[in-house]
Amino acid sequence: MTAQLRSELLKLRSTRTNLALLAWMVGLVVLVVALHVLSFGAGTLSRDSNQMKILGLGTSIGALFAALLGAMSVTGEFRTGTIRPTFLVTPRRTRVVAAKAIASMLVGVGVGLVAEALTAGAEAAGLAARGIPIELGSGDYAQLLAGGALAGAFFAAIGVGVGALVRNQVAAVVGLCVWLLFLEPLLLGDVPSAGKYAPEASAGAIAGAIQSQIADTLIAPALGIVLLAAYAALAGLAGALLITRRDVG
Amino acid sequence: MRDADSDRTTVEQPLLEIEARGGAAPSEPVLSVHDLTKRYGQVVAVDGLTFALQPGTITGFLGPNGAGKTTTLRLVLGLAEPTAGTALVFGRPYRKLEDPSRRVGAVLESGDFDPGRSGRNHLRALALAAEISFDRVDEVLALVELSIAADRPVRTYSLGMRQRLGLAGALLGDPELLVLDEPANGLDPAGVHWLRGFLRQFAHAGRTVLICSHVLAEVAQTVDSVLILSRGRLVAERRIDELPAAGALEALYLELTTTEAS
Repeated sequence: MTAQLRSELLKLRSTRTNLALLAWMVGLVVLVVALHVLSFGAGTLSRDSNQMKILGLGTSIGALFAALLGAMSVTGEFRTGTIRPTFLVTPRRTRVVAAKAIASMLVGVGVGLVAEALTAGAEAAGLAARGIPIELGSGDYAQLLAGGALAGAFFAAIGVGVGALVRNQVAAVVGLCVWLLFLEPLLLGDVPSAGKYAPEASAGAIAGAIQSQIADTLIAPALGIVLLAAYAALAGLAGALLITRRDVG
Repeated sequence: MRDADSDRTTVEQPLLEIEARGGAAPSEPVLSVHDLTKRYGQVVAVDGLTFALQPGTITGFLGPNGAGKTTTLRLVLGLAEPTAGTALVFGRPYRKLEDPSRRVGAVLESGDFDPGRSGRNHLRALALAAEISFDRVDEVLALVELSIAADRPVRTYSLGMRQRLGLAGALLGDPELLVLDEPANGLDPAGVHWLRGFLRQFAHAGRTVLICSHVLAEVAQTVDSVLILSRGRLVAERRIDELPAAGALEALYLELTTTEAS
């Protein structure tokens, strides 16, 4: 199992795909935070709850990119065909999925941290430029970073599971984007009583920040961790089970 | 245009040292397929196939496109599950082998690489998973004459170089059985000559080769016997030295596969 893990870590490092993905994320974070900080009025921006909501952009973007990275570690192998040599060397496919999940979770921690830190930095810079004081304390930032890192890890594992279930790269990437960018925000807005238990809202609860009306009725961080871990385990197990049963073309 | 094999330092045969290894007991077949059947909905890709490979032999696996050769290889290698029947390597299903890369090496398609990853890292990722040393990676790279190109991304490789990289991956674990799908595809004449010599030495050391190919003239020069497949069924099994003359394999192949298909 450590052998497979080392192999997966080398795979993640040895192409530029993941670096490019990180570059996209950095650009996206800076862009959306700048749009928010520049477009809202000074009165709105000076409230601490709104400053937290903007930080929630980092939670969502970090979760999305961690999930994409995890999914692509599986679907990329189906796209290029390397899944065949991978499964020839390790025919016990569950091991391959588990190694991909762990490797992606390690990278997911970094993705979550970078997304949140960058969001916090961009917001602070934008507010300072407009002369608006920051109302957030070091406790808020500590939870943001720790929670974002944890959420990044869980979303990376969710991505691996989704990738193993779907196998097709375009379908997995589009599916994750549609869900995280459109469906879940809709759910959070329209059915908040159920939506607050959904994955992205759970990530928001862990980090203490989400860009949504649901921000005021978030579940407890501990419950968020339990739920997100359960989603990750469910996706990973379902993916491992299905990928083991299906033929490789 | 890039010269396909500009990376080559030499056209000399690298020194081969293939240690003799009797993987299976003399009587035990290295690979045995019994009544193997694979259906995809209404389509029967492989239909009650039975054959066995003895150690120390090179066997050609022939048949028109769609005859079921590649499907058979996937079933043998545990990438797909048979609808019925069994495919055993060294007496067990591939997926139950303890250390598969040290027993079986396979090249399925020349395209099984990430174009953005270097040849060396492709092999290193496989080596890590199989717990094979990076020294062995350098060894197989030298064997297939890819040492100089090893750190370039695979997208810059010619078809022949990809074939050789695939072969390097198959040889990583120093296996006893090689399964090769169109290995000469894209190789230049020197490469084909080298491959033929390599496979002969490999078999001479008591190891076993199964090779899919459409190039009958090349097959006739390389293999000990042929299996001819048509529409998922085995239509002939012949030793090459039983065939009367050059061109006899082609005549047999065309007779069997065209009558079956019409």
